[in-house]
Amino acid sequence: MKPNRTQSECLERLNEIFRDVFDDEDLIITRETSADDIAEWDSVMHVSLIIEIEKAFGIRFSSTEVAQLQNVGDLVDLINTKAVK
Amino acid sequence: MNTPNLDAMLEYVRKRHRRSWRGVEEARAAIPARFDAIAEMFLGWLVKACGESGIPLAVDAFVQFTTEVNLAQARYEADGHYQNSSFAEVYADHYSQDEVMSGYLWGIYLTNFLWAHHAEICVFYRDYFLNRLSPSSQLVEIAPGHGGWGVWALNTLPQACLQGFDISNSSIHIATEVSRAAGYGDRARYAEKNALDLREMAPQCADGVICSFLVEHLEDPRQLFAVIHHLLKPAAVGFITGALTAAQVDHIYEFRYESELMQLCEEHGLRVLSTLSVGPKRLLPNARFLPRSMALIVQKRIADTF
Repeated sequence: MKPNRTQSECLERLNEIFRDVFDDEDLIITRETSADDIAEWDSVMHVSLIIEIEKAFGIRFSSTEVAQLQNVGDLVDLINTKAVK
Repeated sequence: MNTPNLDAMLEYVRKRHRRSWRGVEEARAAIPARFDAIAEMFLGWLVKACGESGIPLAVDAFVQFTTEVNLAQARYEADGHYQNSSFAEVYADHYSQDEVMSGYLWGIYLTNFLWAHHAEICVFYRDYFLNRLSPSSQLVEIAPGHGGWGVWALNTLPQACLQGFDISNSSIHIATEVSRAAGYGDRARYAEKNALDLREMAPQCADGVICSFLVEHLEDPRQLFAVIHHLLKPAAVGFITGALTAAQVDHIYEFRYESELMQLCEEHGLRVLSTLSVGPKRLLPNARFLPRSMALIVQKRIADTF
């Protein structure tokens, strides 16, 4: 079993990944952050982000899960669901 | 130009699928003079076939399909090979599953013009293939999938007739619906059949063969080129497309170079008249592979070399 993370720990780690992927050291994400807020967050960068998250958290997503994500909150919830399995 | 269906689709993408918006803008910019007409044509048939709900249904399917393709490409970048290598596995998991195939086919239907590089193929198809055919051509479409390519041919050629054959029952259903929605149901006939069994058909029966994105789904693509040669009348033309270093869950034959497809044509009595090889502008960071789509216009040779 993988250790469960608090939502804030998860969000903090995700923020680091977002900063790396979008090459923006000042980027601050919240649960509500979506592609409306980050101009570079398109369909290709979304998958790039997902691959980095998979590596960082040691999990794997399905394409349906990836397609349905609407914002960072969805991502945090999905990561936590997988991490407790 | 009045484009109510395109307008509805753009509004839905903008509101519901923000991550896909940039790609849609790229597609419009790729063929600026023709995008609206081509998109409205495809979307009009979709709405007639499925009703108003057809647009959100197909856009959702397009987003799912595009995500699946991008994710498969990322896994391919890491692994260096396609996920599947066996046709039997893909058939069991995909082609025989009506629920999987229905969304898959409507998603692919929109890639025809919503992927910028495929929009370029649309223009190539119209200018270099449809323009070569006579109005009363007898056409065979191998693996029509959603049926859009063949129905477009019927839309352009007023007395043409088309026979389409696909291994998926869902494809037969959707292609039939699209042909009827477009008003050409009486000139299109679809049947469930393995493409490689079409050698049983009468030889030299087709003035034109359409075979879009099938070669990469086969374990041995050579047999398909033999089928195309068998079906075409002497000097008749074919439109063939294939994917190169472009992963998808049901791609099993990995083409790496454009010359591989051209060589398959030449080895099977087909002269290559025109080609177009295109890829997306946006790639995954540090990509080793450029996922390309190649389109070829071929002509059945009447002599050794031409």
